Amino acid sequence: MLVIQQLHYGATSRYNFPPDVEELELPEKLVEVSLGSMLNVKGRHFQPCEVEFAPPFPEKSTTDELLDLPVKSFSTLLTPLKPIQDGTPIVGIDVSSIRIGETESGIICAVRGAVVWNEKRHYKFLRIGPFPFHITEENKTRIFSELGQNPSSGLSLGISTPTETQRRLCNLVEKRVQTSISGTASKSIILWDGSLTAGVPGNPVNTVSQSLALARRNLNSVLAFSKSTTLRFLGWRITEIVSSHEPPCLLEIEDLPLSVSKTVHLLGKIYTVKLTPNGCSFRLDIDRSLRQEQAIVAVEKLLGNEILFQGYPETLRLAHIYSTFTANDVLGIQSFLALEYGLKLITRHNIRRTLFGPYATGIED
Amino acid sequence: MQILSFPGEDVEKGGYLLIEDKKAEKAMIAQVIDIQFATVPGIMEELLRSPNIEDYVAGEDADPLNVMSHILYIQDTRLLVCKIYGTVAEGGLRQENSWLPSRTYSTIRGLPTESLIRLAGITKGLPIDLGTTQESSPITIDACELDGKLNIITGKKGTGKSHLSKLLVLGLVEHGATVVVLDLNGEYTNLDLTPEGNRNEFYGKFHVLSPSKNFKITLYQTDLNVIMRILTYALDLPGTSAREFRHIWRFLEEKGMLTLHELGEAIKRWQCNQHVRDAMFSRYYALVHSNFFTDNMAESIDFEGLLRRTDENGGGAIIIDLSNTSPADRQVVVECVLAKLQEILSQWKIRAIFLFAEEAHLYLRETYWDDVVTRMRHFGLFATFITNQPNTIHENIYRQADNIFLLNFVNEHDLEIVSRAARVDAETAISIVRDLPPYYCLVLGKVVKDFPIVVKIKPLNIKTMGQTRCFFEQKGI
Repeated sequence: MLVIQQLHYGATSRYNFPPDVEELELPEKLVEVSLGSMLNVKGRHFQPCEVEFAPPFPEKSTTDELLDLPVKSFSTLLTPLKPIQDGTPIVGIDVSSIRIGETESGIICAVRGAVVWNEKRHYKFLRIGPFPFHITEENKTRIFSELGQNPSSGLSLGISTPTETQRRLCNLVEKRVQTSISGTASKSIILWDGSLTAGVPGNPVNTVSQSLALARRNLNSVLAFSKSTTLRFLGWRITEIVSSHEPPCLLEIEDLPLSVSKTVHLLGKIYTVKLTPNGCSFRLDIDRSLRQEQAIVAVEKLLGNEILFQGYPETLRLAHIYSTFTANDVLGIQSFLALEYGLKLITRHNIRRTLFGPYATGIED
Repeated sequence: MQILSFPGEDVEKGGYLLIEDKKAEKAMIAQVIDIQFATVPGIMEELLRSPNIEDYVAGEDADPLNVMSHILYIQDTRLLVCKIYGTVAEGGLRQENSWLPSRTYSTIRGLPTESLIRLAGITKGLPIDLGTTQESSPITIDACELDGKLNIITGKKGTGKSHLSKLLVLGLVEHGATVVVLDLNGEYTNLDLTPEGNRNEFYGKFHVLSPSKNFKITLYQTDLNVIMRILTYALDLPGTSAREFRHIWRFLEEKGMLTLHELGEAIKRWQCNQHVRDAMFSRYYALVHSNFFTDNMAESIDFEGLLRRTDENGGGAIIIDLSNTSPADRQVVVECVLAKLQEILSQWKIRAIFLFAEEAHLYLRETYWDDVVTRMRHFGLFATFITNQPNTIHENIYRQADNIFLLNFVNEHDLEIVSRAARVDAETAISIVRDLPPYYCLVLGKVVKDFPIVVKIKPLNIKTMGQTRCFFEQKGI
């Protein structure tokens, strides 16, 4: 039974695995960028997003790849998996963002990260944030650059929709958290949400490569789970193909070129995986620099040391849950902004609702 | 009316709010009858961030900007369900609820009960100190608001009903009233003693009468009407037998032989049907065995005289201690006492009597309830009923009650019954009463000018007798 009461955030008891917050060196940089972005917001008019109409959990973009795989790319090598229960720690990382409202010159988003550690099935979490960011056309290049996007990367920072901007911000923060964990965790399986495709907005190649290298140096294996994929083989979604095989199993997709386009780089080997009999199949990207056997052992260790919910790692599921913003969070952040920055709240004029009333469906951008 | 309240705003169930609409130049008085968590969007998602594992997931928030405190603040927002009880306009209080203050321009603040009491003039007149309000300020009620009124004290066992009742008895006596208490458990017998057993300021004002001990009467002191009420209502004597008994009584009265002994002899010799004689005999023996009647003038008491002396001496209380009286004899005694009171009051020998009746359903006959609340009031008998079984008091008694003192109830059925009282807003009563701690009382009615007020009843500096005797207590466990 769940008692409805004030949530209790207990003090962290000392396990050996989660590093100190200071050790992560994350919040400081994020605070700096967040506060820097909010400098010009004081006393402005602010249209808060209507909580009940705000999309509650906007998904981060992975890549916009729309690939129909050539026949030769598909391996017939199906690897059955045997769980290895050896107490390897598992770390899951996820970052969420939400649009809080708009000012005359831009949007205010909030970003929150969550890192969940699982050691011998004892779970602990660290939430980082939320951090509000005021993003305008004037400051977005600087913000993205400070968060790790190379301005000379050739990725367009021109006119973009608020949703794209929000996604890019979210991805950049996520990369910072991932890099930080790659440097602090050791001999662990690190789970990322999404793919290991770099070179798309918010996923700078350098940052992702460095993060993977750092992880390898600390004897970690990075596995990236995608809940959805656009990769297809003979018209079938690749995750459908593995569904008909006896789980737990791993199906490798061979011979994909490292560079899909001039800018997009696949830094992981792509697999499809089905870990439990009644679970779902997922696209799984494993660090390309790991040997084939290392990659398989990493998945087998995950299988042996993790609780799987519908075939999805609990650590990653918790990271998603703890990072995700609820409508209540949005109200709290709006209240924080109004008090802290003296924002003058004005009622949002929802043109869709004005025009269509109860038939106003869809999200305004 | 529903009002949002944020953490840190100290509001209690039963407390009052003043909603000032400066534009309308009026203020509304509303009482908080329930406090709930506000339905904040997304709250369920927040609470349901629970994992699929049995272990509690410990965690930490790295929140350097301290945004979480704002989120938790929103989560803890409460919704105050309020009832509108009046309006303050032009410096005066009116019981006007026909307007609504502006949502935009109104300011809301707590109205201390002390201020409400002053504003409503609750403390005027002859004060009876009840205790303190929720904010610990003293509260007194006006004894005049109990005068000529019908009062009910009810609450579940162990919540302090008798305690409150004693407080009212002492308050009335202090102001010179004459009080008769039908004391079922012998709880009121030491009201004139301190907890240490010494005399207190009420010493000499209380007279404890124990039937068959120091409370006996002769047949001479008993009017035929009184004895006929006892026989008919308390002892169920059939009509034909009652008629014969009346003849016997008159016969003995004329002969000047109205004694228990002569009454028995007369029934034995009376020319009548054997069944009638048997019926009269059985009632005669019930009267004899009650030991309430005596032929010895020396051991009989002049009840009327005692009442008159009490009244003339500036008030006091007569406690009829029924604790050692059997249920059948209890009815005889009560019937006799009430008939006597009615007789005295109807002849204007005493101006008025306050009657306190504990668990009255155990000794008051069915037809007497209506009599007390309708007819007897006009003679000057003002009843206060005390019970832990609200269903034993008839609905029409609740409807006519002027003042109701509600102590804790949790039983839905009991709450539903008390909420039928005309002076009780059902929602207020049900919501507040179920959360009252022991010795807290929701006072409703004329004594509080129809503003329901939660009172913490003050302790009594008397030797209490109402505690339950326990077996294990003796063993020091």
